[in-house]
This record gives sequence, structure tokens and C-alpha cells, in this order.
Amino acid sequence: MKKPFRYAPALVAAAALTLTACSDPGAGTGDTGPVDWPAQDADLSGTTLTVWAAQNSNTVPDSVIAGFEELTGAEVEVVTIPDPYEQGVQTKVATGDMPDLAFWQPTASQLTALNAKQHLQPLDDAPWLDAYKPELRDITGILDGTRYAALITTPAVEGVYYNKEVFAANGITETPADWDAFLQTARDLEGAGVTPFHEMAADRWGTQWWVQVQLADAAADGLWDRVNTREELFTDPTIQGAIDTYQGLIEEGLFNEDIKTATFEDQGAALLAGDAAMVVQVNSFFGQLQSLAETEELNRKIGFFPISPSGNTGTFIPDQSNALVAFKTGDADRESAARQLLSYWMGDGYEGFVNAQSTVSLQSDVETPADVPEALLSVSDSLGTAVGSMQASAIANPDLYLYLADMIQGTKTPAEVAEATQAQFDELAKAQGAEGF
Amino acid sequence: MSTNLTLAKARPRQQDHPLWFLVPALVVLVVFFFVPTLFNFVYAFTDWSSFKSAINFAGIDNFTSLFSNGTLLNSLKVTLVYAVLVALFQNAFGLGLALLLERDTRVNRAVRVAFFIPVIMSALAVGYIFQALLKPDGALNGILGALTGADVAIPWLGDTTWTIVVVAVVHAWKWMGLSMLIYLAGLKTINEDVLEAARLDGANRWTMFRAIRFPLLAPAVTFNVATALLGSMNGFDIVQATTEGGPGGTTELLNIFIFRTFGQGLFAQATTMSLVLFLLVTILAFPVIRFLRKREDVL
Repeated sequence: MKKPFRYAPALVAAAALTLTACSDPGAGTGDTGPVDWPAQDADLSGTTLTVWAAQNSNTVPDSVIAGFEELTGAEVEVVTIPDPYEQGVQTKVATGDMPDLAFWQPTASQLTALNAKQHLQPLDDAPWLDAYKPELRDITGILDGTRYAALITTPAVEGVYYNKEVFAANGITETPADWDAFLQTARDLEGAGVTPFHEMAADRWGTQWWVQVQLADAAADGLWDRVNTREELFTDPTIQGAIDTYQGLIEEGLFNEDIKTATFEDQGAALLAGDAAMVVQVNSFFGQLQSLAETEELNRKIGFFPISPSGNTGTFIPDQSNALVAFKTGDADRESAARQLLSYWMGDGYEGFVNAQSTVSLQSDVETPADVPEALLSVSDSLGTAVGSMQASAIANPDLYLYLADMIQGTKTPAEVAEATQAQFDELAKAQGAEGF
Repeated sequence: MSTNLTLAKARPRQQDHPLWFLVPALVVLVVFFFVPTLFNFVYAFTDWSSFKSAINFAGIDNFTSLFSNGTLLNSLKVTLVYAVLVALFQNAFGLGLALLLERDTRVNRAVRVAFFIPVIMSALAVGYIFQALLKPDGALNGILGALTGADVAIPWLGDTTWTIVVVAVVHAWKWMGLSMLIYLAGLKTINEDVLEAARLDGANRWTMFRAIRFPLLAPAVTFNVATALLGSMNGFDIVQATTEGGPGGTTELLNIFIFRTFGQGLFAQATTMSLVLFLLVTILAFPVIRFLRKREDVL
């Protein structure tokens, strides 16, 4: 042991070597030229494709996969990534692990979060694009002029789910035509002893819809473009005003008494039972209602109308179950097979898919199945004129919902909500290298 | 004998334990502990994120933006309060149990096992069970309602002041079995003669505990307080399962904040925070352990 440090130089050298290799393990292949789209039924025997899905979307592809495997001889494996799905996928991709296809929120902010340009196959000249209903073709899935996501089901719309029976019992025959009428309806209901609105601040994530629907007009006028370039801030009057209004309505007593402790499950039960008349929510809320009641009862009891300051414009927010992205895995055959699966999904397989899922069809030539509940049809009808939500149009997705939940709990003022959101937006935009941040 | 000595001289230690025998262990140590820790330091000074592939040096940018943002300081405060509460409760419960179950009877042995079971349970499972028990319409309120005859709907996990105490109690409940075990072991090491002498001097049970048994438990206290305090500063699972940092961010431990930041794709900032946590634990560990060791001087 005379030279205890004999091996030290070697160790230092090894450590230095490891450190020089300190680049992003997710760095992958560069851009490729235009791609070919194989025929839907081209033989794929011996090819195995992996699809990543979340806990609530892992059975969505079942019917399509069965048909595709039968037709082409390929094998398709669905891998469930545990919740929180987006975080799990992002982390895996960042460390160089990627599937052939994955369910993914087709919004600009989420495509950016996945570093789409680097990791995803462009789908610009996909064969199914002309089959979409014209107003839905380019609604989402596009980042900087390149299409990266294939929309498979109707994106969610933020709007008002209401209890038809409560409305009828209080003599309300028409749904409100604008924001003022909406609040008037709520105040009338409150006067009649009915809780107008239900909010679930314990589960937090739903709180942001109230602010976003108030921004629909501004969003149509390019609000998010201005936020994206820091010309307009969350603390400026438009967004701050929406937050203030939300707080004002809560203080006015238009919401359920247990707003601080109520959960998503409570919200569904409350609307269905008529304990509250209206809920501002997205499509997954209807999924929750479907777990509580049959379609016949839902058609009888639950309706939907979009709302915006000046009228009935919806605010759309696609989620991960609405779309798929195809990864640049570096294996040309599997990349091609992934495109083929998408072609089949949106091609010959699409009718079987919408029937199996009982969901609204996105394509002009494929009929929506008859058993789709009425409220979901109203949601899909509002899509044509809907504007993008923060998630759909902003380059980053700050935790606005979290800060709003803090506001409801009383630990943040409305001004602090806007400040915290803006600060986080700045951080995310700066990390992306966005101009102006 | 002399032959043996010559042999020993001819084969010095270095030859029957050559240094390269260390290599396998060293490789594991370097790859799984040394390098990740080093990277933790390195990445904190970069702009690594999920948004782009290049990783550039960013200086102390992450530190300045983190410290200018109130969320980090709030999380640090919550983390410290949580750690102190857990250390208090866990040791109080553990010591209480150890004293109650000190005698080696058949019943006591069985009860000790029962109290040790939470220690080997999954922390997330514990968290979710307590989340269900503590809901406004959960079992605890149901029991309280049945006892009082009134409708009880206390939001145990929905109070911006007291929820952190409730969550700290849950954490302490999970780990009190371990503290109990160590205190039991400590109690067993106390010399029976000392206790006998105290009894002859007429000391009552309380005096015996205060003046003799507790001071002699000092090493066990050192271990239990240090592990509870420093371990709960790294807490995540129980709080994530019960409150996810709510209500209103009042239970947002630093690790939950790190998790949230990582999920946003801001990997470098999350790394910076974990570096801050590491430094905080280190800074706190030295004086705490030093103080506790000082108490052991009575031995």
C-alpha cells in the first residue's frame, strides 16, 4: 500500500471520459426526405410494432390492431406507460427509449415537449388527410407548419355540461347564448335554491377550464400568439380579468359549498343527481358520467353547450387519447410499417374503429354510430367553430390549474396566480429557446 | 516460527489482497453512485431540457431563477417543517411503544410484530389507504360520526394549516415500528445493576426514566432522530399519495416540486433543485449529528 493513489490517474481518466460523453442521450437521427406510404395491406410478416398507450387509452386500439394483424401478418404490441403518462413518455424519450407509435396530445406545446422535429416522423402527405371533414383536417397536430400527429377521435371541447331536468324544473327552456346570459341563468337558479355550478378543487385539474372559456374571444383574436412572443402576459388585463372573474363567482356563492374538497368523482355524481345544475368541463367528464349511467339516462338528463364571452364558441383541447404520433426509430422498415398502421387505422380500419369505440367519426364518408350519446354529438358539432385552448395554441403549458386550485384553497390571490403562471411560462419558453424570453 | 515470519514478509498484504480486487466493487460504486452524483452537480449548471437535444453550459442561471421564484423557498420551508414534525412524532410514538412493549411476554412479541408491519409495507400503499380513510366521507369521519352521533365531515387532507401535521403523523405511523425496535434494543443494553441501584435508592418509575434510562438511550436517540429527520427531508411517496402537495401547496415537499418540474421537461432545473436538497440535508446533518453525539458523552 505504498502507492495508494496508483490507480487514481486511471480513475480520473475514466471519469473524464464519461463526462465528455455528457450529451443528450435522446439526440437521434436528423431530418429525412419525403417518405413513401406503403399500401394498407402490404405484407409485414415478421415485423413487430410497439405502441405506447396510457392507462385510459390502452384498449382503444384493440379492434384496429386485430384487423391490421390479420391483414398484414404484423405483430402489434401495446405497452401501457403508467400515469402520469406524459411525464413517463417524455422521460423515456429523453433517455433514448422510443416506441414505433404512441398516443400523444397533438398540441403545439406537447409536440414541442417531445422535441417533435428531432423524434417524430412528419405526416404531411399522409393518404388519409382528404378523408377528414374539411373543418377538422388542420385543427391540430401541426407544429411550425409540419404535421406530426394523426387525429383519430374528436378532440375534447371545454364547455358547459348541464342537467336538463334541473333546467326544465326551473323554467329554463333555452341554453344561454352568451356569457352574460350564462351568469344570469346561474343567478336565477341560485335564487331558486339550486347550486348553479360545481367545481372540484381537490382534484385540481378542472379549475383551468373556467378561465380558458372566458378567453375564447381573445383566443380567436390571437391571444396565444401574443403570449407566445411575450407581447401579452398572464398578468395583463385579459387573462388576469378572467382569473378575477372566476374568483368573484366563487365568492358570490355560485359554486358548491364543498368546492375545496370536492373531487372529479363528486362532480359527476353531483350533476347527474341534480345537486348542481352546470359543470364547465371537457369530454373526459362525460366519460365519468358514462361510468355512472346508461346512454338512455344520459340522453334524458345531460346536455352540453359551449360558452364564450360573446356567444357559444367552444374551446378545444385535444388530449393523449385523441391522436397518435410515429417515432423516428432509425429502423426504416419499422418506420414504414408504423406509417402503414396509421394508414390502415384512418383508412379501411376506421369504420370498424368508430363502431368499436362508439365514438364520433372525423371522416365525411364514415357514419357516426347511432349509439353515441347526444351530449357528445353536441360537443363534436361545436368543434367546427371552436378556438384553441392554452394547451392547443400556447408554446408551453404552465400549471395554471394548480395555481387556480391554490387560489380556491386560499393560499394564492388571483394576482399571484397570474404571476406564478407567467413565471413558469417564462421558464418553459426560455428552455425551448423561444424568442423574446 | 521464523519460517512463517519470513513467509509473511515475502508475501506482504498487497499480494494476498491485490488492489485490483477492489475493481469490481469500485466499478459498481463509480457507475451507480459516483457518476450520478457528479452528473447531479454538472447538469445543474446546464440548460438540459426535453425541448432540445443540445445541452449547453448555463452558468448559475438555474440557481438565480430558482431562488428568485418563491416556490422553491416555500417548498424548502415545507420540507423542513415536515421533517421536524416527522422526527418528533416518529420518536415519540417509537419510544412510547418501546416502553410499553419492553417486557418479553408472548403478547408483547406479537404486538411488536404488528407495529413493525407498516415499516415493510409499500409507502404508496400506506398513503393511498390513509387518503381513503381521511376523506371527508371516509372511514375516520364515519367512526367519529358514530361515536358522537353527529355528522362529521372534517377534511383532514384539505386544511391549509393542519394537513401537514396529519401527513407527518401518517409518515411517523409508517416508520414508528423501526424506531420502536431500535429503542427496544437500546433499553436492553442498559445495565440491570444501574437500575437495581436506582430502585434501592428509592427512585420511582418516572425518575428512573428521566434520570437514568432516557440518558442511557442516547445512542438510540441519535440514530432515530437523525434517520427520521434526514430521511423525511427526502420524503415523497406518502405525501404524493395523500395530498400530491395540496391543499394550496401547503404540503409541497421539495421532492414533489422536483417531480413536477421534471415532468414539465425542465430537467436541468429539477437537477438543480435536487442539488439544493442534497446540500440542505448535508448542511443540516452535521450540526444535528454532532449535537446528538455530544449527548452520548454521559455513557
